Parts: sequence; structure tokens; C-alpha cells
Amino acid sequence: MNSLTLYLLISAVLFSFGLIGVMMRRSLIAILVSIELMLNAASLNFMAFNKFLSPDTSIGQIYTLFIMGIAAAEAAIALSIFLALFRQLRSINIERARELRG
Amino acid sequence: MFVKDPILLACTITVVLPFLSFLTIICYTRKWEKVSCSISIGAILISLICAIYLFIASRHFAEPLQYKLPWIISGKTIIPFGFLVDHLSMLMLVIVAVIASLVQIYSLGYMAGDPGFSRYYAFQSLFAWAMMTMTVAPSMIQFYIFWELVGLASYLLIGFYYEKWSASQAGKKAFVVTRIGDVGMFIGLVILLLFYGNLSIVGVNSAAVAKQIPAPLITISAILIFCGVIGKSAQFPLLTWLPDAMEGPTPVSALLHSATMVAAGVYMFARLFPFFSGSADALQFALLIGTITMVLSSTMAMVARDIKQVWAYSTVSQLGYMVMALGAGGYVSGMFHLTTHAGFKALLFLCSGVFIHHYHTNDFFVMSRQGARSLKVPMVCMTIGALALSGVFPFSGFFSKESIMVALASHPNKIWLAAGLFGEVLTAYYTFRLIFVMLFPKEMEETHHEEEHHEGEGILYWLMGWPLIILASVTCVLGFFEKQFEHYLLGDYILAHGVEHGAEAAHAGGHWLTITAISLVAIGVAVAWLEYGRKGASQEGFLSRMPAIEKLFARRWYMDHFYRWALDMIIYSGFTNIFTRNDRRVIDGGIDGLCRGTEGSGRIASFLQSNMVQYNIFVMVAILGFVALSFLG
Repeated sequence: MNSLTLYLLISAVLFSFGLIGVMMRRSLIAILVSIELMLNAASLNFMAFNKFLSPDTSIGQIYTLFIMGIAAAEAAIALSIFLALFRQLRSINIERARELRG
Repeated sequence: MFVKDPILLACTITVVLPFLSFLTIICYTRKWEKVSCSISIGAILISLICAIYLFIASRHFAEPLQYKLPWIISGKTIIPFGFLVDHLSMLMLVIVAVIASLVQIYSLGYMAGDPGFSRYYAFQSLFAWAMMTMTVAPSMIQFYIFWELVGLASYLLIGFYYEKWSASQAGKKAFVVTRIGDVGMFIGLVILLLFYGNLSIVGVNSAAVAKQIPAPLITISAILIFCGVIGKSAQFPLLTWLPDAMEGPTPVSALLHSATMVAAGVYMFARLFPFFSGSADALQFALLIGTITMVLSSTMAMVARDIKQVWAYSTVSQLGYMVMALGAGGYVSGMFHLTTHAGFKALLFLCSGVFIHHYHTNDFFVMSRQGARSLKVPMVCMTIGALALSGVFPFSGFFSKESIMVALASHPNKIWLAAGLFGEVLTAYYTFRLIFVMLFPKEMEETHHEEEHHEGEGILYWLMGWPLIILASVTCVLGFFEKQFEHYLLGDYILAHGVEHGAEAAHAGGHWLTITAISLVAIGVAVAWLEYGRKGASQEGFLSRMPAIEKLFARRWYMDHFYRWALDMIIYSGFTNIFTRNDRRVIDGGIDGLCRGTEGSGRIASFLQSNMVQYNIFVMVAILGFVALSFLG
């Protein structure tokens, strides 16, 4: 097992944890954390490919920086949405958000 | 570039300084009134010096000098900005600069203590800038742009007391009514641009003289462009805005009526005179319009009681004379009358301004009863202006009217000459009606305040007095320079194309014309004397015995009523109605429909929402995984 495969495996495991978290957890905060996990898995993939496949360029690192920026912005927006939702529902359980049901 | 060419430098300074002064005042110095007025007056005085320099320097030009920078280039059409220096434009530039500077100095006294003092000077600078740049425009596009800016500036100044309802209405009226004419002018320019492809003034003129433009095109575009003159110079169908325009401060009226706004129309006619002379029909049309205007507005002036209104009607009728002169082919006489008229009409308005300032009324019967004749300087100056206006020897108006009559006499159709002479009687009558009323009041009121500020309020009075004296002396001597004037103007390239005709021949034709004109003026003055001047005169015009006609004249031949009616019928119940319906039904209805559609489709789509977010995600992931697997496989 070479080291690239190792990184990819770790990344895959991280991604799976994130995906499962998004699908299983009821708390919005936990879902947000899981989404961050998936993003980090993707970042890890970028870094690994950059390191092992084309070490001269730094496109992967730049991509990772962008993902970090996006993650920060997304967290800010998501948290403010959660706050608004909490004020409406007095809860952050995702199953309580059913206003839109037809 | 500037250093090598003093003429270009002088042109630039003349034109740019008032604009800079406008910007400075409006942006920075509105709080400091003294600074504002010094900036504005300084700018216009420097412009005046440059204009006089240009006037002298351009004396020997055989060909017009042009400076152009391309502004818009589209295909073969190039629209330049720049300067056109020839005799006509330099003459006009000097007239504008002189009148504008005198009016600004006079305003120091007239506007003293007004809360809008700085704003007033800013607008004055804007006005001067627009008019002077228009004067030196080398292409009709630049001319048109600044023509509209002149309209804007006069709108701002007429409506200067904007808190007064009638003033803001008058400003609006001036703006809208002149705009009607401008639409015609713009269409004319566009037609000319489309079918001839060039709007350079010199180019259009020389092409018309060389018969490179087809005659029907000249006729159509000339008549349309003449609509601009009708609007701006207050000619027959659109003359109603000018009498209302006196709602502004009196110095503004002086500026508006003499050298800037209304003179712009006549100036354009003269500017494109070779082009207009390419079509006999257009000239005939102009002659007709000028004559109707002249007679109508003279009759209106005969019954007015407001001093400014009398002068306003007389401006309209004198503009009618100028248009008649140009229409009859008298290029020099039209421009000469424009020049002399600028002098004496500014004088008359500025004098009336002193009276209005002093007595706080516009009715000259009231002024007279309060002892208007004790204000010696304005009274003498106003009499001089009135003598010039009615064409009495040796004042400037006599010479210019004389040359207009000569031009009319050289026209084959003598109706125009008869109308012109008839107008002289009316002019003399209404002018001296006012003068006699002012000089010989029927009964004096108790003038208690007369002792306190008798003949003077110190420096302010003389600030208003000196421009009057300057203008009055100009009015006295200007007439004797007719030959030099003609020589200066015709040293122009226009002479080379032989536009001026008939003047010399008619001069030789006889002195009967002069004698007739003088005796007609004498008749007018005599009638006015009998009714208003002599001891025990009733001070009621002969028109008061014909109430129907008097009412017709006083109501401006019901032109305002007609416009009101047309406005109600066509605009309000026609267009406005349609547009209101369009607004309600089409626009509002459309937006409402869109909203309802969005809402309805949202309701339908909400059936897809199952309330279980995580199951949705699960399904999504499963499907994606399936797709990914099938791609791999």
C-alpha cells in the first residue's frame, strides 16, 4: 500500500463519516459539523493528489485554501439561518422544520 | 498649442471661465455671498475682455476660422466640438458678454439681501456659459446642445423665486413651450443629417449656396429648424411664454429679453442665413410668422398695465421685426436690429427694475402716482430707451428700424412693408403711453417715504445706476455706426456669396421711406400724447371705448385659453387617459399576474416537499452512488 492510497483511504473514511452524519443526525449543528467533515475530506484529497501526482504546481493547495474560505462563509450563513430557525421553532431539530410541506 | 494661438486661447478662456465659475459657486461658495458674486463677475469680465479682443482680432478675417475636436465618430459622420470664429459669432459673443456683465453688476444692487444670492450668480454664470458656447459652435449639434442649456438656464432663472407658485409655473411654461419648437428643430437637424450627412455650419451654408443640397430638402429642414426659432424667439404660435417669463428677477428679464435667450433664435436664423436663403418658401414662411408676431404682440402691449409686460410684448414684436428683416433677405439689418435692440431693451428692463425695486409694484400707473419721475437717472435712461424703441432719430433704434424698412421695401410684395410701417405706429403708441403715464401722473399720492431715501440708497443705487448710464450712452451713439457695422459683418464670407441684395438700391430709391417712417412714429407719439400726456388727459386709451377688442388684446388674443383647452382635450383626456389605462391594465395587471402565477406554481410544487429532509438526502446519495457505479462499470 503506497502512501497516496493511504491518504485516499483516510479521506474516504472521513467523507463517509460526514455523509452518514448528515443523513443520520437530527441536530442541525451536528449536520453542519458533518458537512465540514466532508469538505475536509475533499481538501485532503486535493492535497494528496497535488503532493504525489504533480508536486511542482500548487493548484491543489490553492484549491484547499478556497475550500477553507468557502467553509467559513458557509458556516457563518448556516449558523445565522439556524439562529433564525431557532427563534421560530424554539428547537434545532431538523424534523421540526415542516412548514413548507404541501 | 495654446501659447502659439492667442485666438484659440482667448476663445477657450471666454467660454470656459463662466462654466468654472458656475461649478465653483454651486459646489463650494454657496455660503459666502461676497465670494460668489466676485467669482461670477470676475469671470464674466475676463470673458468680456477676451471677447472684445476676439472681436477686434477677427476684423480682417476673410474666411471663418474653425477649431474642431472630434467628439462622436460614427461611420462617415463626425460630430466635432470646438469654436467657429467669424464676424457674426464674434459680434454676438461681444453682445452677450457686454449685456451679461452689465446685468451681473446691476444685480449686485438689485439682488442685495436676497437669500438665493449665490444661487442667482451661479445660474447667471451657467446662462452666460451656455449662450457663449452656443454662439461659437461650429456644428449644429453643439449648437443644439447649448441651445437647450440656454433653455435650462432660463428655466432656472425664471423660476428663481421657486417658492412662488406663479414663478415656478412660468419657468415650467417657458421650458415646455420652447421645447415644442425645439422638437421641430431637432427633427429638421436629423433630416438634414440623414440626407445630407453633415451638420457643420460652414459646410451646410456653403453647400446651400453652391446648390449641392436638393431644394425640397432645404425647404423641409429649414422650416423645421425655423420651429426652433419660433419657440426660442417667442414667435407667433408659441409667443405666450415670454410675457410670463417676467416672473423672474428683473435683471434676468433684461438678460433674457435682450442678448441671450430670445436672441438665440434670431442668431440661429442669421447663423444659417445662407442655408435658409436656399429656399424662398422658408424665407416666405419666416416673413409671415415674423409679421403676425409683430402685429399681434404690439396690440397686446397697447393694453398692458404691468411695466415689465409692456416691455415683454415689445420684445416679442421687435423679435418679429428681426425675423421679418431676415426673412426679407436683410441679413445686416436683422443683425443690426438685434444689436441695437439688445442695448435698449436691456436698458428699459434695468430701468424698470430700479422702479420695481423702489416702489414694490409692477403697475406703472401706481408707480407714477407714487412719484416715479423723481428718480431722475432711471427716468431719463428709460426715456432714452423708449425713444430708441419707437425709432426716433438719433437713437439707435431709428437706424436699425430704418434698415429693416429698407430691406422690407426691397421685397417685391409690399404687404410686408405696410405691416412693418403699421407696426411702427403701434410701437410708438404703446411705448409713449407708458412714458407719458410715468412722466405726467394724473394725481399724486402722498409720498411720505420719499424724503427719507430720496434719489438714493447710496452705493446700491449707483451700482444699479451705472449700467443704465453706460447702456443709455451706447443707445445714443450706436446708430451712427451703421456703416461700420455693415462693413464689419459683410467683410464676412457671406458677402462673397452675394446674399445681401437690394439694400443699396433701395437706399438710392428715395427718402420717402424715411419720411413716412418718421411721420408714422410721430402719429403714434401724438396719439399717446393726446390720450396720456397733455394736461387733463383722461389717461384712458381709445381702446377702452371698444371693450371687446380691449379684452381680446388683454387676453393675448385668447392664445393661452386655446392652449389650455388644447392641453385639456388632447393631453389630459387623450394621452393621459390612455396612459393611465395602460398603467392600470397592462403594467399593474401584468405584475399582479406574474405574482399570482408564482404563488400558484409554488403551491403545486410544495406537494414534493415530504417533510423528511434526511430521507431526501439519502435518496439523493443512493441515486448518485448508483450513477457513479454504472459509470465505473
